[in-house]
Amino acid sequence: MKKIIYALFIITGITLVNSCKKTLDAPSKSSLDESVIFSTPSLAEGSIAGILQSFGETNSYRGRFLVYYGLNNDTEVYNTLKAVDDDKAKLSNYNCNVNNSQMNTTDNAWAKFYEAIERANLAIRGIRTYGNIESNPAMAQILGEILTLRAVIYNDLIKGWGDVPARFEPISTATSYLPRNDRDVIYKQLLADLNEAAGYLPWPGENTTTAKVERVNKAFAKGLRARLALAAGGYAQRLDGTIKLSSDPELSHDKMYAIAKKECLEIISSGKLRLLGFEEVFRKLNEETGTAGLESMWEIPFSDGRGRVIFDLGVKHIKTDQYTGQNKGGTDGPNPIMLYEYENEDVRRDVTVVPYEWDGGDGTKGAAQVPSALGRLYFGKYRYEWMKRRVTSTNDDGLNWMYMRYADVVLMAAEAVNDIDGPAAAAPYLKMIRDRAFPTAPAKVTAFMATATASKTAFFDAVVNERALEFTGEMLRKSDLIRWNLLGTKLAEAKTKLQQLENRQGKYAALPAKIYYRTAANGETVEIYGLKFGDTDAQGLALGYTSNKAWTMVTTGETVSYWNALYTKDPNMQQYWPIWQVFLDSSNGMLNNKNLGL
Amino acid sequence: MSRVLLLFTFLSFIGLSLAQAQNRQLTGAVKDKKDGQTLIGVSVALAGTKNGTSTDANGTFKISIPANGAVLTFTYIGYKTKNVTVTNETKLSVTLDEDANNLEEVTVNVGYGTVRKKDLTGAVGSVGADVIAAAPVSSALEAIQGRVAGINISSSEGSPDAQINVRVRGGGSITGDNSPLYIVDGFPVTSIADIAPQDIESIDVLKDASSTAIYGARGANGVILVTTKNSKDGKTNITYNVFGGTRKVAKKLDVLSASDYVHWQYERALLDGSITDYTQYFGNYQDIDLYNNIAENDWQDLSFGRTGTTFNQNLSITGGSDKTKYSLSHSFVSDKAIMQMSDFKRQNINFKLTHKLYSSLALDFGFRYADTKTNGGGTNEQNEKSSADSRLKYAILYPPFPVPGLTASTETNDEFNLYNPLVAISDNDQYAHRKAYNINGAATYEIIDNLKLRSEVGYDGLRNDQDRFYGTTTYYVKNLADYPNLPTLNSMNSTRNSFRNTNTLNYSFNKILGQNHNLNVLLGQEFIKTEQNTLTTEVHGFPKTFGFEQTRVLTTQGKAAIIDNNFQPDDKLFSFFGRANYDYKGKYLLSATFRADGSSKFSAVNHWGYFPSVSAGWRISQEDFMKDTKSWLTDLKLRGSYGAAGNNNIPAGQITQSFMNFNTTWINGFNNYWAASKIMANPDLKWETTVTRNIGLDFSLFNSKVTGTIDAYLNKTKDLLILFPVGGTGYDAQYRNLGQTQNKGLEFSVNWNAIKEKNFDLTVNANISFNRNKVISLGSVKNINGTSGWASTEVGVDYLVEEGASIGRIYGYKSAGRYEISDFTGYDATSGKWTLKPGIVDATSFVGTVRPGTMKIEDISGDGKIDLSDRSIIGNTNPLNTGGFSLNSRIYNFDLGAYFNWSYGNDVYNANKIEYTSTSKYASRNLISVMESGQRWTNLKADGTISNDPAELTAMNANTTLWSPYTKTFVLSDWAVEDGSFLRLSTLTLGYTLPEKISSKLKMKKLRFYASAYNVWLWTNYSGFDPEVSTRRNTPLTPGVDYSAYPRSKSFVFGLNVNF
Repeated sequence: MKKIIYALFIITGITLVNSCKKTLDAPSKSSLDESVIFSTPSLAEGSIAGILQSFGETNSYRGRFLVYYGLNNDTEVYNTLKAVDDDKAKLSNYNCNVNNSQMNTTDNAWAKFYEAIERANLAIRGIRTYGNIESNPAMAQILGEILTLRAVIYNDLIKGWGDVPARFEPISTATSYLPRNDRDVIYKQLLADLNEAAGYLPWPGENTTTAKVERVNKAFAKGLRARLALAAGGYAQRLDGTIKLSSDPELSHDKMYAIAKKECLEIISSGKLRLLGFEEVFRKLNEETGTAGLESMWEIPFSDGRGRVIFDLGVKHIKTDQYTGQNKGGTDGPNPIMLYEYENEDVRRDVTVVPYEWDGGDGTKGAAQVPSALGRLYFGKYRYEWMKRRVTSTNDDGLNWMYMRYADVVLMAAEAVNDIDGPAAAAPYLKMIRDRAFPTAPAKVTAFMATATASKTAFFDAVVNERALEFTGEMLRKSDLIRWNLLGTKLAEAKTKLQQLENRQGKYAALPAKIYYRTAANGETVEIYGLKFGDTDAQGLALGYTSNKAWTMVTTGETVSYWNALYTKDPNMQQYWPIWQVFLDSSNGMLNNKNLGL
Repeated sequence: MSRVLLLFTFLSFIGLSLAQAQNRQLTGAVKDKKDGQTLIGVSVALAGTKNGTSTDANGTFKISIPANGAVLTFTYIGYKTKNVTVTNETKLSVTLDEDANNLEEVTVNVGYGTVRKKDLTGAVGSVGADVIAAAPVSSALEAIQGRVAGINISSSEGSPDAQINVRVRGGGSITGDNSPLYIVDGFPVTSIADIAPQDIESIDVLKDASSTAIYGARGANGVILVTTKNSKDGKTNITYNVFGGTRKVAKKLDVLSASDYVHWQYERALLDGSITDYTQYFGNYQDIDLYNNIAENDWQDLSFGRTGTTFNQNLSITGGSDKTKYSLSHSFVSDKAIMQMSDFKRQNINFKLTHKLYSSLALDFGFRYADTKTNGGGTNEQNEKSSADSRLKYAILYPPFPVPGLTASTETNDEFNLYNPLVAISDNDQYAHRKAYNINGAATYEIIDNLKLRSEVGYDGLRNDQDRFYGTTTYYVKNLADYPNLPTLNSMNSTRNSFRNTNTLNYSFNKILGQNHNLNVLLGQEFIKTEQNTLTTEVHGFPKTFGFEQTRVLTTQGKAAIIDNNFQPDDKLFSFFGRANYDYKGKYLLSATFRADGSSKFSAVNHWGYFPSVSAGWRISQEDFMKDTKSWLTDLKLRGSYGAAGNNNIPAGQITQSFMNFNTTWINGFNNYWAASKIMANPDLKWETTVTRNIGLDFSLFNSKVTGTIDAYLNKTKDLLILFPVGGTGYDAQYRNLGQTQNKGLEFSVNWNAIKEKNFDLTVNANISFNRNKVISLGSVKNINGTSGWASTEVGVDYLVEEGASIGRIYGYKSAGRYEISDFTGYDATSGKWTLKPGIVDATSFVGTVRPGTMKIEDISGDGKIDLSDRSIIGNTNPLNTGGFSLNSRIYNFDLGAYFNWSYGNDVYNANKIEYTSTSKYASRNLISVMESGQRWTNLKADGTISNDPAELTAMNANTTLWSPYTKTFVLSDWAVEDGSFLRLSTLTLGYTLPEKISSKLKMKKLRFYASAYNVWLWTNYSGFDPEVSTRRNTPLTPGVDYSAYPRSKSFVFGLNVNF
């Protein structure tokens, strides 16, 4: 019997040793405590990269948002829009459903944006708890940068999907499922956040971090605040499905325009940014110089091997050639009418609208420009041939996405000042942009300014038009039209113009039916005649160029004409994409798309 | 404490010895009655006392008996127990009869102990050493494929290190791993692939919860218990087994002839409107007959057509004495695989020692070591960077002859996107070195009669080093952000160490309860801790000329891109368990098990899970009313069980969200970032629980000539641990407990000793299992999508899990053949298009321009166009039944064994076929001969133009059956879903054993020669390489996809077994 007692004693002993409290604790090992990360600036900086990593995910900004958001409008279109029932075209023609095959995946932009938001929320909580920002300016700058990045994502969430769930704290069991929030809640938070952030952030070039456009600076925080204020104070399709202004007195039109005016003028008067030559702006972007304090205010800092800016938005290279090891470009392009919106002296046209693509050669050399088609134009702001390195990846080009540039601030200033103080006060800002666009024709600018300043309305209309000319290809147009409540109007106008253009009617009546072209002596450049007002077929023929072709947007066998493909449903009924099915499914019934009347 | 215990033991031992003073000594020898061989380790007990001994290496024993005589009981496994009455003899010669009715004595490992098979009340399947060693393969699991009812074993492909999927009764989890728990000699391991089959004594499979509940939290998917060999009797025995032979690819797919290939390229270029696709490589159409007699490369033969070799040997020494038994074995396997640059080598050492210190104290010691080296990257991989790097396609689709500009360099263009098949193999090379060792020791102390304390301590170590080379032609390297188009080396060094301590107390109440009652109680406690870390290093930007070997040894030539030493949270399991087995006269059996598991994977409130089970058996044949059946019914037992077992098979560290650091090459200015894991923590996680009900019948007829088992079961799994998609919250997914699944099924197995004569034996063994899987609930989710991703994003969702249906259902389009002339009103010469008749579905946006011969898809939604809404369930990868049968025969000294296994009613998703019969966006690629001229629709007239004349096209295609391969995308239709039923003669062996008089002259106990073939014959209607395939295993949602599987081989070997 004693033996049994001994044995039991042993067993009990072993059991007790094993079962002391910590036995079943198993903490994470390859991890660092929040209190360490967010009290050390060099570590906390890594959380900025964590947020940007979400931008670069396959179906985030990289592969989905940058290519599909902002289409179709009077300046920018999806180039394959005539396949109106294709899921990619449906993302642009205001007829998109929840099961869109491009978007209805769990790793899509919607999810990656909220991933970035959660990462930002965790970092903000960490820095506010452990960062000691009052005495640590480096940490304050990081907080400012993260607050701004979070505002960037919310800005795009609202642009893409309208009223979305507001998450400003790290997720908890209680907040796993959230419904759509009224965007006013989000706007108010973001306006406050950006105000706070601007207080922490240095101006461009003020310290080594803000010497690069890839890092957030005070000017960008303020510029983004102005952009958000104009959106918050403008029209939109709201949760009840109707298009209206915010009813929140804190977000009144006047208050919002006042914020925009204040922020823009502070940026301008800081003198920290300047307008470059129009082509120079985009040459510098494609050359990836990245210096802050010029025109670019902040860029999504894709590395060389990640990002699809030229890949989707740039001038198309049909084959790999001397400029690129990647035969991409031209998923999106300018609305054909944009080729004819610029005056002949406006230097912005040839930078912005490219009527040719690259073809031929043996894959590494010998390719040349060949005319594309009236219905297949390219954004010249993004060009492999302007890059200093040759892209070799088959999937990514690595060009940064210029999120905001100084010209936008100047034109927002013009718009806000006109609204508050009238056209005379606003005129200098519009003129800055106009002067740059017409470096060789100051008389044209003077005449234009005289008409534009005739009245507040005339000035507003001039700004509406100027933003189209200035920003085509930068995907700002759709949200501009929405806030002005001009989306339907401008699309209908574009549809008429397209039809007139194709049939050479109205203002397009005198344009030649064909274009006449040849390859220049350098063996690369194409010289095209017939794209400008004043050109005629007779003169074109007389030039004796080697080739000519009909300049049309009609293709053989098409079932839908270009102008009818621009939008297949009333754009104002669906200003936003729906939240995709996979996210509805996992929302525990909290999310729906009732506002879009699908 | 242990010293006190030892002293105590010692004292009591002396006490016992002293008590027996007035006795006399008896010596004796025990032999086998049939062959006169001495028997070692026979236990000799003095009836009515506790005294006993066992026979030594010479088969002799010495025992002290009362001077006035005694009764001695001789018991030995496999022999009938014999009682011998001793009066005044001093020397005894005893012979024992072999027991034909093995059932009486066969024991089955049920976890923490064994029970006699006849007393089993749960559902347990067993395979013995003879069956395991019969197949000439290097993996025990392959050897027992089709041998046990209720376990579906299938190898995923034909590579030497192919993953083998094991499912015990289906498996209840949806997104989780349904692999069973593997226990080797008491120790949980992740895989039993690196155990030499020759070292295995038995494999026991616990199938129902009443059996698996003793493993509590980890038992829900069944438990596979492996017991390695040890000396049975202490007799010195040296065995040497060796076999060697060759292997050859079992099947190749025919591709287009050179001439047909060129004609098709020409037609494709015309259809694509880019005639330069043809002319720049193949010249003018007028010269096409130049290709008629061109020499062709058989790329399949060049890639995996070589004759492989296999060599396998095992040397085993067992021996000892009555007190000490040991076994030492060494195994060596060397396989040269059929694919270029791939081979496999494994060394195993297994040592076991048991020593009886005192009659009441025994020590066990075991050491196991396995060293496996695998060369070659195979044809696909699970942690692939991109499905574009899957390699079988090169061997099929590469042009059959050199094409200037296309096949000359390692450059390729986007339209072709193929590389020389041999370059593809060397650019995707891999070397894996896996070292596994296990040391364990145990002490068993019989505290008082029938009360045993056993304490086990063990340590298990696993080191896995894997080097993966990405050459310049790989997709991954082409798209690297930092150093594109230069060779890259990825090395993963993972270490996994487990410590285990188990203490059990076993008491038999037989003495107390009297003769008719048997009660055994087991109480135990266990602690297991597993530590794991993986060091990943990736070096980019090696010099362009570097091959795999150079990158491995000259890492400084590249640029370190990733150095990540990741430590996982420890996985700890702390448990208490108990089991009671009771029977009354062996007629009424009752067993109850209970286990409480505490796991560190769950938070404090959910640490503990409790898993009870109960089972009962009724030996009907022993009832009086069954007397009349005695003549034919030897034994009949009805079993029933009910119990719960758990599953905690999720990664550790899911309870709290922690900040982790990752490398990045995506963001300028940063090379690493801090972020929370993409999996959201869930502090509320708890066990997944499977409740099983089993009813079974064991029968034995005609004096055990026919034995068999029938089982029926119903398993319900609830609180499924599902990786739930939560995209949109900030995380990709979260482990949650939700939903419910069910598996029900029937299993039959029967063994028939048809003939048992002196010179002629014939045994037939067969089993069949039916399992039906159903998802009862998915909680709030409507369905769970599976995406196999073999075509990157071109195919999309291709599996669908829904409530009320099984998992593993293929989701896609229904083929409607092709567009015929009659579908069109005619050809419009001005637009260059064919006009469809009203009401005929227009698939243009899906398959590309529609013309006669274009692939046609059924418009299920009826909206006049083909889009995502036209998908439906087009296949089910779950078999209706699986099983196997074997024939074993002996005629004089010849023996013959044939082992068959089958699977019936399962579909295979033949993704290879889709890729090999349609162009998608690619040009210049070959096709398989399913699409050869005469089969595929043709539009090409002899004059080299496309025909658009309805009558002419009709005439040209009068005998063709398939559509034109020209489609703008890969389409998953039911055409590519094939019946994967098969019957395989997996092993066929003919052996000859030398007559004993000759072998004894050679100083051998036994010498057997044999010739054996593996994967001898396959009956199937499946058109691909082999229907037993599953290559997209990254998620359990997509089983049964045949994409780029390593082709299977047939092997022929000669071997010998020697016994000294």
